Amino acid sequence: MFGLIGHLTSLDHAQAVARDLGYPEYADQGLDFWCSAPPQIVDEIRVTSITGQTIEGRYVESCFLPEMLATRRIKAATRKIINAMAHAQKHGINITALGGFSSIIFENFNLEQIHQVRNVVLDFKRFTTGNTHTAYIIARQIEQAAPMMGINLSDATVAICGATGDIGSGICRWLNQRTDAKEMLLVARNQERLLALQDELGRGKILTLDEALPQADIIVWVASMPKGVEINPAELKQPCLLIDGGYPKNLGTKIQHPGVTVLNGGIVEHSLDIDWRIMNIVNMDVPARQLFACFAESMLLEFEKWHTNFSWGRNHITVEKMEQIGEVSVKHGFRPLLV
Amino acid sequence: MPQLEASVAIDFHSETYKDAYSRINAIVIEGEQEATQNYQKLAELLPDDHDQLLSLARMEGRHKKGFEACGRNLSVTPDMEFAREFFAQLHGNFQKAAAEGKVVTCLLIQALIIECFAIAAYNIYIPVADDFARKITEGVVKDEYSHLNYGEEWLKANFEASKAELEEANRQNLPLVWQMLNQVEQDAHVLGMEKEALVEDFMIQYGEALENIGFTTREIMRMSASGLAAA
Repeated sequence: MFGLIGHLTSLDHAQAVARDLGYPEYADQGLDFWCSAPPQIVDEIRVTSITGQTIEGRYVESCFLPEMLATRRIKAATRKIINAMAHAQKHGINITALGGFSSIIFENFNLEQIHQVRNVVLDFKRFTTGNTHTAYIIARQIEQAAPMMGINLSDATVAICGATGDIGSGICRWLNQRTDAKEMLLVARNQERLLALQDELGRGKILTLDEALPQADIIVWVASMPKGVEINPAELKQPCLLIDGGYPKNLGTKIQHPGVTVLNGGIVEHSLDIDWRIMNIVNMDVPARQLFACFAESMLLEFEKWHTNFSWGRNHITVEKMEQIGEVSVKHGFRPLLV
Repeated sequence: MPQLEASVAIDFHSETYKDAYSRINAIVIEGEQEATQNYQKLAELLPDDHDQLLSLARMEGRHKKGFEACGRNLSVTPDMEFAREFFAQLHGNFQKAAAEGKVVTCLLIQALIIECFAIAAYNIYIPVADDFARKITEGVVKDEYSHLNYGEEWLKANFEASKAELEEANRQNLPLVWQMLNQVEQDAHVLGMEKEALVEDFMIQYGEALENIGFTTREIMRMSASGLAAA
């Protein structure tokens, strides 16, 4: 069995979902309540591969909300993730993806130090960040969506915002080794990591966000931020392909400009309908078929019985691992969401 | 991304700590004392499990002695009057149910609510306890899981017949737990235990118990949050 640990995008969203699902005890509550709320398995999932194989999974709602980070309730945020992991493990789930902010919180607050959660010893082999598949899918979105917009990669400048992150660095490696992208602009906050990445790639310009955006034909947004960022579309090139790999995905509603196309990044479409409710809740356009690539990674690991933390730690995503997960992604009928 | 603040070292011998400990320690001692009596009462009500329940009662008696030693170790005199007052309503509800022969209500109060609360509190306490109390508490919490398990197994075996009474007893008694928690929020904070973590751990433990007994996720979410908003 596979698992998905997810969360909602805001307190308002959480209250609305609780109301829709018929949990009034949760719907009327403020942030304090959510800081004390336990993880719950709220969806049972069946996925069929185009090979005919069917697997079962569970969706674990961690009750984490991004407001917990914004209001510095860090202990609550970390408890949500650890408790959701313990919940998944206690329910016998073999491989669980840490969706949304879950893997970022796990990494940032060094939660691998926590092994014992009440009477559960966490087995980290049962969890994956799903980042390898996400990086693969975004890389394929760049390769496939650019020509559809008349952008030729060999003439294109690609800005990677969040380049030193786990997903961002994986995408950079792919662009470097597998494509003939003309120029890479590396944008991130930590200069030391940027220099290390530039050194590893042997190419790429280190620029600030403001410097990079007007130069880019393709912008890949994979920075992790609890709050959004303002981008002025008038300053972007035209045409410009903007791949929004953040969560929640809000660049598409903020940026509406002819010549700028916003594509939801790290989203896959399955070839067959998935029996679940949860993607309605996160407002996917086609809820029965579209999902986060990180979630799909746990499905792929379950299909292949690779019950191991395929994506773990930071900056370990190699092109070989992306190719490996990409191969089984195609095999089981997933494809990158396109424009 | 914001950073996690380093936890402040606790001075176990400060007057502030010992003052808060005099109440929390008393609650734990009184809780174990009442648990001893409650299991003895349950042994009368459930003759088939008489010996097992008396054995659980004896374990609770040993826990009480362990926690008394924790207080002595810090030269703290437990405020037993505060503790008896603290448990009065919940204890009264147990005794009333026992007098009416309502075994299901008795099991919900002692074997589910009190045991889950004890497990949550002990698990939150262990990382912030002094060395002496940590060893004692680690031993105790293992036993408490077995007590919880007794209640779960009995109620699971009698689920259909017990369900309505469990829901009613939950409605009557869980709000008391939230009120009790509010009473000791400040003292627990002095000991390094945060209320929201206690509530969360309780809800996790209680939710797992209800799930093992046979309740659905929807019922569990409703039952385990009962009265929390009003508290």
